[in-house]
Amino acid sequence: MAFLRELLADTVRALVSFGPELREVVWLTLFVAGTATLIGVLVGIPLGSWLALGESRIRRIWRLAVNVGMGMPPVLAGLLILILVWDDGPLGQARLLFTPAAMIIAQAFLAIPIAAGVTAAAIRGLAPAAREQLDALGLGRAATARVALAEVWPGVVAAVAAAFGRVVSEVGAVLVVGGNIAGETRVLTTAIVQEARQADFATALAFGAVLMVIALVINVFLARVESRRW
Amino acid sequence: MVTLRFPADGSVLDTSLDLAEPSRVVVFGPNGAGKTTLLRLLAGTLPHGPSLESAYLPQTPYVFRGTAGWNLGLGLDAEEAARAAHLANRLRMSERLSAPARELSGGERQRLLLARTIARRRPWVLLDEPLGALDAQDRMQVARVLVEELGDRGAVIVTHDRDEAAVLGEVLAVLIDGKIRQVGPVAEVFAQPAGAEVAATLGIANLADGTVQAVDGPLCAVGVGGQTVWGVGDQPDGSHVRVFFAAESVTVFGSTDQSAGSARNRWVGTVEEIRPAGRLVEVVVDAGLPVVALLTPGSLEALSLQVGSEVAVAVKATSVRVVPA
Repeated sequence: MAFLRELLADTVRALVSFGPELREVVWLTLFVAGTATLIGVLVGIPLGSWLALGESRIRRIWRLAVNVGMGMPPVLAGLLILILVWDDGPLGQARLLFTPAAMIIAQAFLAIPIAAGVTAAAIRGLAPAAREQLDALGLGRAATARVALAEVWPGVVAAVAAAFGRVVSEVGAVLVVGGNIAGETRVLTTAIVQEARQADFATALAFGAVLMVIALVINVFLARVESRRW
Repeated sequence: MVTLRFPADGSVLDTSLDLAEPSRVVVFGPNGAGKTTLLRLLAGTLPHGPSLESAYLPQTPYVFRGTAGWNLGLGLDAEEAARAAHLANRLRMSERLSAPARELSGGERQRLLLARTIARRRPWVLLDEPLGALDAQDRMQVARVLVEELGDRGAVIVTHDRDEAAVLGEVLAVLIDGKIRQVGPVAEVFAQPAGAEVAATLGIANLADGTVQAVDGPLCAVGVGGQTVWGVGDQPDGSHVRVFFAAESVTVFGSTDQSAGSARNRWVGTVEEIRPAGRLVEVVVDAGLPVVALLTPGSLEALSLQVGSEVAVAVKATSVRVVPA
């Protein structure tokens, strides 16, 4: 019991002091996960509405790809991006290996299928009467998607929340392509792995607590956006 | 002639319809006859249809999140939007345009979407049960606006409601089991159904076109085939109108019986035909205009009616509808 009490006290101390190292990790986490979510949402939501608003062979193939992508292990996504940005790889010239940019690419790769899949599911869940009215309006493809997305607004917000949740909590992809370099590519999840490995549980817990607070704040914000009345 | 077949083997719908000239075509039929499928093929929301250049209003008046006004303008250009606003005003929706569309009643949603659909600049308008969600007192008023605003544009209107068909149609097409069994001017199809199945589908209705001869408060007198028919309607004197009433509302008397109670319409004529209608009997009387009455076999016997019998028929004026022809 003494162990837990002390651990708790140390965790609180670490949080209260909130040193420059923690600040830097938190900032990079928000930057990488936020940018990856943004890219994931900007690509995934239009992709999801395209998948849901029509039937064709190419759409069926993409739908399958998105579903598989939703279940892809982050570490595998990291490996694929690692190969891509490796010095001799297709994007080797860009010198992205072990940079936040590579981490953003890897996480965006994880975020896109989630955003697309949740968006498509929301639109496909529209009442048949809504789908028929949408068809009857005879709007262009983009305008149809806009009306459909506004109609399933809570589903769109869920897509954003799911994409952010997926990337902010994953450790495999950022670890593989970022390398967990202190002060350069260390984020909250990789920092937790690091501290846990060194048995510095108090610091690890402090990182974990901050991660949960970030998740809480983001989700409270998204819940407010979702409940916006039209 | 446009061919309408769905699916490819025609198991749901396999028929054709003449839409060369724009007119208001009512496709009338029982539930499951294929009416909505026919309309969807014309609208192009089902594949392999003739896809008429049209504005389509599906059966369920679905409104999207947003204000009623936003829904009204959805997909319309500036000119169409102005027309939609005018139509919304005529359909008494102007006051409701700032309300969230989700707070509208079913009837209000229908009127809103009717305004949007008719406002579109398309040669054809396709309406699926357009008066379906409206309450009784709204129906006639909305029907009149519809007929006026459609003008000489073409419309294909699907309904299973006899009154709706009578009010909205110029041409009536009777659809049974995926096939159009009869097409013709509305009055003609009602008067001379092609076969027992069509007659049973139409129900036994009395319908005729005539001219208003006099107006008396809520009633007007309509001249039809040398007879005067009193009915409820506010059409101006001299206007061309359609009158219709149900066979159930016709009472038959012996010709010597002078009583007709409060019925304003009492005509004398001859029994032309007596035919079974399920457990009841239809009696067709030539009274200057053909009148179909629905009787019980008991009444038939009590009056000892036969083909050729002299009878009087009576209908309360409040059972007779007078609408613009």
